[in-house]
Amino acid sequence: MAMNLDYAVRETWTNLRRNIVISIASVLCVTVSLSLVGVALMARQGVERATQRWQDGVEFIVFVAPDASSDQIDAVGSSLEANPLVERVTYFDQQQAYEEFSEMFADSPDMVETVTPDILPPSYRVVPTSTDLASVEELVQQYEVQPGVIQVARSTEAIVAIKDVSDFLTGWALGVALVLLVVAVLIILTTIQLAIFTRRREIEVMRLVGASKAFIRVPFMAEGLVQGLVGALLAIGALRIFQPVFENSLPSSDQLVLFSEFTFSGVDMLWTYLLLGGVGAGIGTAAAAIAVSWFLDA
Amino acid sequence: MIRLESVSKVYKGDVTALRDASLNIDKGEFVFLVGASGSGKSTFIRLLNREETPTTGKIWVAGKDVGALSGSKVPFLRRNIGCVFQDFKLLPSKTVAENVAFSLEVIGRPRSVIRTQVPAILELVGLGDKAERFPNELSGGEQQRVSVARAFVNRPLILLADEPTGNLDPATSVGIMRLLERINKTGTTVVMATHDRSIVDTMRRRVIELEHGDIIRDQSRGVYN
Repeated sequence: MAMNLDYAVRETWTNLRRNIVISIASVLCVTVSLSLVGVALMARQGVERATQRWQDGVEFIVFVAPDASSDQIDAVGSSLEANPLVERVTYFDQQQAYEEFSEMFADSPDMVETVTPDILPPSYRVVPTSTDLASVEELVQQYEVQPGVIQVARSTEAIVAIKDVSDFLTGWALGVALVLLVVAVLIILTTIQLAIFTRRREIEVMRLVGASKAFIRVPFMAEGLVQGLVGALLAIGALRIFQPVFENSLPSSDQLVLFSEFTFSGVDMLWTYLLLGGVGAGIGTAAAAIAVSWFLDA
Repeated sequence: MIRLESVSKVYKGDVTALRDASLNIDKGEFVFLVGASGSGKSTFIRLLNREETPTTGKIWVAGKDVGALSGSKVPFLRRNIGCVFQDFKLLPSKTVAENVAFSLEVIGRPRSVIRTQVPAILELVGLGDKAERFPNELSGGEQQRVSVARAFVNRPLILLADEPTGNLDPATSVGIMRLLERINKTGTTVVMATHDRSIVDTMRRRVIELEHGDIIRDQSRGVYN
């Protein structure tokens, strides 16, 4: 059956305008909750990026000089592997170092351009058997003096702290965001119920003259969709404004260790925005669908 | 056109609104449903357009087994059935023309059809000059004409009228009945529940009388009682 698009748009707009106050409330609630989700996701992505090389229990990294001989590199490697205090060693060659660098500075292509794989140091990522400070320190000192080694970088307390704080905050933010999302669903549901109630006579006539259920449903679902989507778009706008503030307020690269910077990649942000848009549209439409079903199937 | 086979309708709490009703209404017939309030007239009407489903028995309307109809098919059944009510059920925020157009719009009829059909039907019911008025600017009789126009604009096979003259004075009622008669002459089957003795007695059409859910009389060219 031909659904008159013009009709759906007109009805949706009338509904939104008629209940403008509660529509704004729905939109703002979606905005606040999705902004929180966005901030939590951004914080997590930023922290992960900044601490990328410190994942999975890596406690220190042995950087070998880019011009070290392969004998020297192998000697460091075999020494680490033979060390009973070392649980696991991963070798990162220059190409991998370059890939990691490119990824970390994806938003600063100028910086990536100035670097080629052959000037970056290959490294060993070391997971020790014990994370005890003293024993890690002893290992660090031992490898700093090995021939060919230019630097041994420790996972600093700053990194540990930032990861802990980030986990804690993102956990809470997501929890609060979840509650707010439920609130948003309830408000949208109520808004749609109100819209349905306002138009119950029209709906009654529509049913009598044989309008299909889909036809009756669509304007209300569209109303929920618009509320969810507008809320999501506002949240995305807020995050865009918020992003530079976020980046500037967090520890910069020199406070952390070599090459780590707190930035957001365009791709990550795009996914975040898509996710927020999808969640907004989804909860709006779903809440409206529930409200309409309650009414039509009652 | 309409066929009932041993139809009973029992509401919650053991209220029997219709008991073992069997009858046939042919295409083009004009039928009065009479009986006291609570005798089952409204239930009878509501069963025909499937606002209710029978507890037992079978109902065929326009060739379809109404009780077995799936929910998604019900709108298509209703497009063959026009309905007129005592309280008109007009939308106060829409003009006369918009009220009639609305019923075509929501079943997806193209705009070109709406543009030609709406003025034509308003002319037919005698409201050609009131298309842009709002319902509250019209008299009761005029409002009921709008409601008849809306029910008939899609040229249904059946017109159901539940006390269409219940809120109208006798003179106005006669006008509405003339209109329904004209519609009936186009071949549309009309089923009308009524309390209006003088209308039934004047028109001398088939009369089905209900009492406590039983059909106690089915008389062609009958009178009220």
